[in-house]
Amino acid sequence: MPSLTLLGQALVSGLLAGGIYGLLALGLSLSWGLLRLVNLAHFALALLGAYLTYQLGTAYHLSPWLAAAAIVPLFFLLGLGLHAVFTYFRVTEFTSLLVTFGLTVILESLIQWFWTADYRRYETPYATASARVGPLFIPALELLACLTAAVLSLATWAWLRFTYVGKALRASAEDPAMAAAFGVNHRVQGFLLSGVSATYAGIAGAFIALISTLAPSQIWAWVGVVFAVVIIGGLANPVGALLAGLLIGVSESVTMAVVTPAWAPLVAFSVLILILVARPERV
Amino acid sequence: MSPAGRRVAAALAAAGIGLGALAAAGLPAFYESFLYLIFSWIALATSWAIFSGYAGYFSFGHGAFFGAGMYTTATLTTALDVPFLPTLLAAGGLAALLGAGVGAVVFRVKRLRGELFALLTLAVTFVLATIVLNTRIDGGPGVYLSAVPMPGLLASPTGTLYLLGLGLALATVGAAYAVAHSRLGLGLFAIHDDEDVAEVEGVPTFRYKLAAFALSAGIAGVAGGIHAMYVSYVTVGETFSITVPLYVVLMSVLGGARHWLGPAVGATLIGASLFAFTGGQQAILGRAVVALALILVILLLPEGVVPAALRRWRAWRPAAREAPASATPALVSDRQPGREAAALECHDVWKAFGGIQALRGVSLQVAPGEIVGLVGPNGSGKTTLINVASGHYAADRGRIALGAVTLAGRPAHAIAGLGVSRTYQIPRPFAHFTALENVALAATFGAARCSPPQARAEARRWLEFTGLGRRATALPHELNLHERKFLELARALAGRPRVILLDEVLSGLNPAEVAGAIRLIRQIHAGGVAILFVEHLMRAVLELAHRVVVLNEGEVIAEGRPHEAMRAPRVVEVYLGRTHVA
Amino acid sequence: MLLEVRGLAIAYGDAPAVWDASLDVDAGEIVAVIGPNGAGKSTLVNTIAGLQRARAGELRLGGVDLGGVPPHLVCRHGIALVPEGRRLFTRMSVEDNLDIGCYRGEARRARGETLERVYGLFPILRARRRQLAGSLSGGQQQMVAIGRALMARPRLLLLDEPSLGLAPAVVDAMFEIIRAIHAEGVAILLVEQNVARALDLAGRAYVLEEGRVVAGGPSAVLREQSRIQQAYLGLRDGDDPTP
Repeated sequence: MPSLTLLGQALVSGLLAGGIYGLLALGLSLSWGLLRLVNLAHFALALLGAYLTYQLGTAYHLSPWLAAAAIVPLFFLLGLGLHAVFTYFRVTEFTSLLVTFGLTVILESLIQWFWTADYRRYETPYATASARVGPLFIPALELLACLTAAVLSLATWAWLRFTYVGKALRASAEDPAMAAAFGVNHRVQGFLLSGVSATYAGIAGAFIALISTLAPSQIWAWVGVVFAVVIIGGLANPVGALLAGLLIGVSESVTMAVVTPAWAPLVAFSVLILILVARPERV
Repeated sequence: MSPAGRRVAAALAAAGIGLGALAAAGLPAFYESFLYLIFSWIALATSWAIFSGYAGYFSFGHGAFFGAGMYTTATLTTALDVPFLPTLLAAGGLAALLGAGVGAVVFRVKRLRGELFALLTLAVTFVLATIVLNTRIDGGPGVYLSAVPMPGLLASPTGTLYLLGLGLALATVGAAYAVAHSRLGLGLFAIHDDEDVAEVEGVPTFRYKLAAFALSAGIAGVAGGIHAMYVSYVTVGETFSITVPLYVVLMSVLGGARHWLGPAVGATLIGASLFAFTGGQQAILGRAVVALALILVILLLPEGVVPAALRRWRAWRPAAREAPASATPALVSDRQPGREAAALECHDVWKAFGGIQALRGVSLQVAPGEIVGLVGPNGSGKTTLINVASGHYAADRGRIALGAVTLAGRPAHAIAGLGVSRTYQIPRPFAHFTALENVALAATFGAARCSPPQARAEARRWLEFTGLGRRATALPHELNLHERKFLELARALAGRPRVILLDEVLSGLNPAEVAGAIRLIRQIHAGGVAILFVEHLMRAVLELAHRVVVLNEGEVIAEGRPHEAMRAPRVVEVYLGRTHVA
Repeated sequence: MLLEVRGLAIAYGDAPAVWDASLDVDAGEIVAVIGPNGAGKSTLVNTIAGLQRARAGELRLGGVDLGGVPPHLVCRHGIALVPEGRRLFTRMSVEDNLDIGCYRGEARRARGETLERVYGLFPILRARRRQLAGSLSGGQQQMVAIGRALMARPRLLLLDEPSLGLAPAVVDAMFEIIRAIHAEGVAILLVEQNVARALDLAGRAYVLEEGRVVAGGPSAVLREQSRIQQAYLGLRDGDDPTP
């Protein structure tokens, strides 16, 4: 039985990792829940964002904050482009899974082409900064990522809940014809959502670059976990995505502390399978 | 075996002998190796398509079964010193068991959507990979098979692998052909187009999906076992990577996932073009090109290369003339012994959906030889009653029986087998089946249980009966609404039902078509089939029905001869409003 | 003339639903469209509201041809729909549903005032403004649907079977409210299966049967005609509907 300190540290790491999961899940939850399109390429986009942040930082010495600022509009456009393809070919929910599957591999190959399969680490002065609470270490960057996740989740929630655009998005997702009868343009909604979702992927990527070591194959490591988070948190539920992310993060990290680390991936995938089988109507 | 089947078997045998001789004569090891890979992909892609392509449940988990097979062989040969060839049986068996296990759980979930099934199977792959990585099966360092003795089928190791791969590829393609032309295949294709309707027409969907999934998994397992010897160093990363799931989907979709030869063509094309990209950076590019090809094919050529080519070819040749069917269809005289007419009885049936009580203790009877009209305002529960009687939904309470046999609680395909057929208000034909094939399916799986040639003859007969004889080779989207409605009728009749449930068969027809439909319904009745029909068109109800049952808000409010029932005060009130009742 | 429909033909794919339908609604009128199930009433109303395209014929509102107008711009011309089955946004609150009603510019500016009017008509909705629309009773949902349409400040209100699935007492209250709305100057096109109520409320009515307008005229006249009995109950001329 590991010590209390170890468990405590595991809890902290789990929460922080869960924040990243939540950040990644946010965009996917929005697009899947409100657009009814499964964007498997979300992860590849995030990793692309990570590599771009790394590149801008190491080759052009742009501070990560400036890099992130450059990424946001770029990814918004990428999101628009993706949605343009979807609408032009009238892609259905199932076909979108296959198409984005292919897109993920293309992006992974592109990343590997430019940056090779070698591990990349974005060294920043903040990398080693951490706060100390009693015996526990809280790395500053990861804390910042977690806080950003929380802020974005809440902001998105508020946007959907209180603004006209947000209400129009929700209405259009449920009954596009009726929403149109009252003036909501379903097409524009779709593009907006796709752009926002891609932007979130890019921001998540920026943090991933700051926190983890990068390798192209990482895309697949995220897939199962984040899908589990999205489904557990409920589609189109921004706060749910964050909470589910934290939950999974903590479960994984406690499993890692109590049992061996290698079993951790099992947690998310098993939960995913259980939910898909026991409660498919949630999705 | 049919003549076409014999031709295919001969072609496969010839290919086997030819290619086998090629190796025996002495092919350079490099080519043996390259061709082995193509054979392996042919086996993998074709086995994937036997379930996912035919039935339409796209699985992203083929890698799990492949990996299970690889590790079975790796473990048995290294840890237990089992000779290589017998391990292939174990590999296939274990993989098939795994597939059956996953299927048994997952297929119980009603109408699991396509993308969820894909995600689920992907998750299973990752779970299996984690388990293998963390237990003694692999544990991390991988498994070395270099010390395992290779059976000497041919002089060189690559030659032996070449032969094994060739054998598996030919066997798999043969199996794909056999399944495609069997009842199992017919059922799978129907499931692909409309699983609910397939079940209602008599296809045992759960059993068939399970069988096909297990077969598909088993073949992948054998392919994995062989591949373990090929790579001779098995690691979790390489085995359970995204390559296998991605490529099998692509190869099948490119070649044509619904055709038995499609995946093989796709595998050959992709395999050959990947040959152009070997090693290092080029391999990465190769993967990207493959993925791009997948996207383009899905968006632009969704049915695949082989079916598109076949269609072009058929447009060239004149259509084969089939002999017209013999005279009038005999509904009564062909009646199988022991299948006497029986009454359909619903007693005190209750059904609720969520908070809405659709049926409240509905009781009605359709005696042999009766035509009963079921009428009522919107939302009164008419279609729900038909859905419950045909087994589409299970009743919450109440008795539903055909003669002495209880129907309630049986799966829909069993109810169809007992002699209950139905049509849908909005026709739901199988989109990829011709009119003839649609009706033949019902003849094959319905109460009549015909063999394939008998089914086609029956189908012709019913198409003639409904006036669609000349449209036998048309696809549903080429028929107009009137023709599609009559196709529904023909399909319902081909099941040799004792009772037919018609759901608003006349809606959308113009007056002339309505008159024709009424005539047809009379003829069906004359053949000895009892009919329960839901209709809004009152004059048709008055013309046809012996008895009328009026539903309102889930309850029977009137029953009796049409003119009497429609004048009952309660009925007038419900339809016209209070002021009409003096 | 506010609404002019001439020779409208509407089909679902290749299944025709409405043939050659023509009707008029003048500003401030209540006109009913009655007819049995499957006659095409909803199809007709949905097409006027812009949810569906007609195959042939003309559709003018206030003199403007609505034929080529994209679905999300139709409401700009002053039409609001209360669809059959309500079609509320069940996962959103009552007030959110009402907000969608006033989504477009002009209506949005007048939101405060219109909202007060709606809550005045349906006090119970004020109490339940934050409740999920899907959790309300049938009658209350119908109120939300009507309120949502009123938030758009329409010139013409389309009501498709508002009494469907509601208890008679609730229907009585509903029709009183429709009268009140009409009194404020909104023109109403009412589709109803319940003949008595429809003819009580509307000054004029059209009878739709099997996709065609088979009769039309003042309610008082139509009420006596046996055409209606025929359409609904299948009884022929000379058949006596009373027992």
